[in-house]
Amino acid sequence: MSDVIIIGAGPAGLAGAIACAENGLRVTVVDEFIKPGGRLLGQLHQEPSGDWWNGIKEAERLHQNAMNLSVDIRCGVSVYNLEKCSQNWNVHTSIGTLTAPFVLIATGAAEYPVPVPGWTLPGVMSIGAAQVMTNVHRVQVGKKGIIIGANILAFAILNELQLAGINVERIVLPEKNPNSQKAGEPEEVLKSLLHASHLAPSPLLRFGSKFMKKDWIRKMGINFYPKNGIKINGTPLQLRKAALEVIGKDQVEGVRIADTDANGKVIPGTEKIYEADFVCIAGGLYPLAELAAVTGCPFHYVPELGGHVPSHSETMETPLDGLFVAGNITGIESGKIAMAQGITAGLSIAKHAGKGKNNINNKLQQAVQNIRTVRQNAAIQFNPDIDRGRSKMKQIWEDQHNNNNQTQEKIG
Amino acid sequence: MTNFENMVICRCEEVTYGQLLSTAAEHKCTARELKLRTRAGMGFCGGRTCRVSVDKIIESVSPDITPGDIPLKYQPPVRPVTFGTVGEKK
Ligand SMILES: Cc1cc2nc3c(=O)[nH]c(=O)nc-3n(C[C@H](O)[C@H](O)[C@H](O)COP(=O)(O)OP(=O)(O)OC[C@H]3O[C@@H](n4cnc5c(N)ncnc54)[C@H](O)[C@@H]3O)c2cc1C
Repeated sequence: MSDVIIIGAGPAGLAGAIACAENGLRVTVVDEFIKPGGRLLGQLHQEPSGDWWNGIKEAERLHQNAMNLSVDIRCGVSVYNLEKCSQNWNVHTSIGTLTAPFVLIATGAAEYPVPVPGWTLPGVMSIGAAQVMTNVHRVQVGKKGIIIGANILAFAILNELQLAGINVERIVLPEKNPNSQKAGEPEEVLKSLLHASHLAPSPLLRFGSKFMKKDWIRKMGINFYPKNGIKINGTPLQLRKAALEVIGKDQVEGVRIADTDANGKVIPGTEKIYEADFVCIAGGLYPLAELAAVTGCPFHYVPELGGHVPSHSETMETPLDGLFVAGNITGIESGKIAMAQGITAGLSIAKHAGKGKNNINNKLQQAVQNIRTVRQNAAIQFNPDIDRGRSKMKQIWEDQHNNNNQTQEKIG
Repeated sequence: MTNFENMVICRCEEVTYGQLLSTAAEHKCTARELKLRTRAGMGFCGGRTCRVSVDKIIESVSPDITPGDIPLKYQPPVRPVTFGTVGEKK
């Protein structure tokens, strides 16, 4: 039997496994994908320092370290339920039930789409699917693409598609409606891109800050945004165009697009069909917390973290005995931060298991501090208000420990 | 507009935007009731794809709901499994 079962072999899960194993715990990691690495496997971008962040290499390094410490890693195994049974956690998987006193849930994030009429046609995919096809499976997604949705994830992956020689013709916004909300309002989108632009890793992503340093543009804002967009490495970002419908008979043939005003309202008579053979929808990411939910762990809604997150401390423990969380399940951030959180969770588990001798407390404090440092230097930040989100969660946790009458919300 | 109403939101159960809106309007649904009436979010993927959209639609039709209050419940199994697996017999 293992001491710890870790669900998810992404950066958080693997780093957690290494930290646990280094402190003498027996660790099993399960992941439903065919190989370890999680979302790292799709990542490739240039850091402000000029170095490249090559997710595949990072995944290999973590995998190798974990193997050297005799961590048992099982890929292709799905966890479908998680429950506490006296002292142990039962982890129900597609290969049977695994049992351990400690569980770390590191299941990452999921994408949400912005539905557009015609989005069920073959050739329409989420932007993350395009990333996986390109960087993991090395399949060319198409010859002529349109991205719907302008956010950091879309730019990061646009860059990767361009590096792979895949032609993306334009980025447009989804039509404004109750589903797309702010993602369909040019003014709001521009604002959020400007917030994030100083964090951007590559010259491509920094376009915004350069553009907006010109004060007059900042003042005029979206009203003077060029009609044909601003080119990002050759691909025009068209904030004043909205996708009304994906068209095609048996597969994507094009997108019906119209000009919009600053608020995203379609200007009648401007509709035009643009040819395409693939369409990527960039909605956004939310913490994939379904397994924490079925345990009955309390949740909190923190929009800066990407939605509903399981209640957790800075040392990655949940209110449930023996249950820990790390990585994007606690809030949407980049891979390096997930790794730093994984180390923290691993040390935290070691401490609860009575391992790591006297200096474990010191190590744990250092690991918590390290998360903050990594966050400050992060090249990609999905939400500009992440710090506020993290402080909210910390406050909630502390209040709850001082006062049991705090309101909690169960989604499990 | 009909184009928009015919747009599929829950792909697994093929529930359209129009169906969700008319059901919500007719029955003044909670999130849970809307899910049970339409089966949106109850298909193969367990709602991983449409959960956020369905939540937003509920928010837009019931303005007195704050986003923190309305998550759809999660139920095991969170992945599709065979009866054999759940029953621990293969
Ligand atoms: C589409 C997409 C693109 C992204 N692009 C970038 C990027 O370019 N740069 C960047 O810094 N960050 C990116 N991110 C953010 C990314 O989530 C983090 O960088 C980082 O990978 C999070 O690490 P993690 O360990 O928390 O989760 P992940 O890396 O997502 O790993 C979670 C693992 O858990 C497994 N899992 C989930 N549920 C189960 C289950 N029930 N049973 C078994 N296994 C399960 C998954 O298969 C997965 O391998 C992206 C995220 C997504 C979703």
